[in-house]
Amino acid sequence: MKAIFQVALGILAAIGGFVDIGDLVFNVAAGAEFGFSLLWVVVVGVVGIIVYSEMCGRVAAVSKRAVFDAVRERLGFGVGLVALVAAQLVTFLTLAAEVGGIAIVLQLLSNLPFLALVPLAFIGLLAAIWFLEFEWIERLFGYAGLCLIVFVVAAIKLEPDWGSVAHGFVPQIDTGDPLVYLYFMVGLLGAAMTPYEVYFYSSGAIEEGWTPKDLGLNRLNTVIGYGLGGLLSFALMITAGALFLPQGIQPQLIGTVALGAEVPLGQVGLLLALVGILFAVGGAAIDTCFSFAYNLAQFFGWEWGKYRGPARAPRFTLAWLVLLVLACCVIATGIDPVMLTEYAVIFSAVALPLTYLPILLVANDRAYMREYANGRLANVFGVVYLVVILFVALAAIPLMLITNMGQG
Amino acid sequence: MSRPKALDLALGVLDHQLVDPDGRRCGKVDDLELEVTIGEPARVTAVLVGPRYWHARVRGPVGRLLARLGGGGGVKVAWDGVERVTSAVELARPASELGLGRGDDRFRPLIGRLPWA
Repeated sequence: MKAIFQVALGILAAIGGFVDIGDLVFNVAAGAEFGFSLLWVVVVGVVGIIVYSEMCGRVAAVSKRAVFDAVRERLGFGVGLVALVAAQLVTFLTLAAEVGGIAIVLQLLSNLPFLALVPLAFIGLLAAIWFLEFEWIERLFGYAGLCLIVFVVAAIKLEPDWGSVAHGFVPQIDTGDPLVYLYFMVGLLGAAMTPYEVYFYSSGAIEEGWTPKDLGLNRLNTVIGYGLGGLLSFALMITAGALFLPQGIQPQLIGTVALGAEVPLGQVGLLLALVGILFAVGGAAIDTCFSFAYNLAQFFGWEWGKYRGPARAPRFTLAWLVLLVLACCVIATGIDPVMLTEYAVIFSAVALPLTYLPILLVANDRAYMREYANGRLANVFGVVYLVVILFVALAAIPLMLITNMGQG
Repeated sequence: MSRPKALDLALGVLDHQLVDPDGRRCGKVDDLELEVTIGEPARVTAVLVGPRYWHARVRGPVGRLLARLGGGGGVKVAWDGVERVTSAVELARPASELGLGRGDDRFRPLIGRLPWA
């Protein structure tokens, strides 16, 4: 029973960590623009994040080393520093976007002015991080984030053409507007495989004191957790494809995402969607905030971890605290969180190879991983995905510029 | 002292985490000091830790700037003070005795003053 409970917690954590503002924005925008024809890209992204999260969870459980330990050890100080700067920039942008998302949802729920809600978002996040145990942060945001399942119900209730939905799972390229289609492909992969997910997942495994005994749990967490995250992504895209595409609506606001649940399910649907988005995005804000501090501490060798307590890991604590303040300041300038999200996701795609290559190298090191090193299956998937993300990284910025961020 | 028979210094020691006997993370192996005698294999004599040694890893003005930003301090830990090399480099003596982890020590009073820290 305890094991089932543990798995359930991991699953919840993975959902909270997977569906963030980037997924909400890109899945809904992709559905509104191309209907169901990009569903297959979500599958590719979900399998990718499963492969690499499983790998870095295993590395953490066996060696007690997290992603940026591996980055520094395998890329060295100089190249590792480039990877660190890229990762931190992207993580900061993502955190600012998530904070903006929280403030927007609070605004929709309360009708108070946006600027008054940014400090409220800050206080809420700070209180959650400061007072809750690591496991309880995962539980609170994971459980409440499950409200997003309302989009699965909404997608079914909208009675889409299931034949077209099924056809969306077949790899294809839209010949009508191939460049914008490619831009959305890159965005969906970037959103599904956002680097902070692996920073947080691997460091979280150490926070929770995983050992090789937890490797089964690691596998289940990643497969079922990210699988469920993928299901929510499908639901968001199907809802947008069934509701917004026929009416030519281009969702530019977070509120439009919630409309996808309100139209078929009424006020209850809207409320559940907003609560789900609030906690999913809130959970992601905490994940990114910690990820920034984890990366910095792991690269420079500082003491880190919420489990250590603030006084035992002072520079780690200071890092996330300062970052949270800065992110709130940036969002309080009135910058559009959706635009910030798009930049964060596209730049994430560029930072992907420098994150994933060191994980693959360490997971193959038998001196380090002993009998738990990568098997053939993990390596085949690992190498294939490395090639995929290399293309994604190279194509991301040119596509963003050519398509004017998907506007065509 | 137990060590693997063959140890790849570049891969297995350089840039690895330093951990003291209390399990405290207290820096990275930023560089290694080697003693070279003609006709004999090179010998590691010390682990070099701290911003002072970063400019040897990143040449030019960027390296110098980094070292300055990091405060420029550095600690040399004699190789005899290394207890074991696993995925981390485990030290025989506490970080405080070796002068390691001073950055965390510097910020501890500040963070300790925060409510409920």
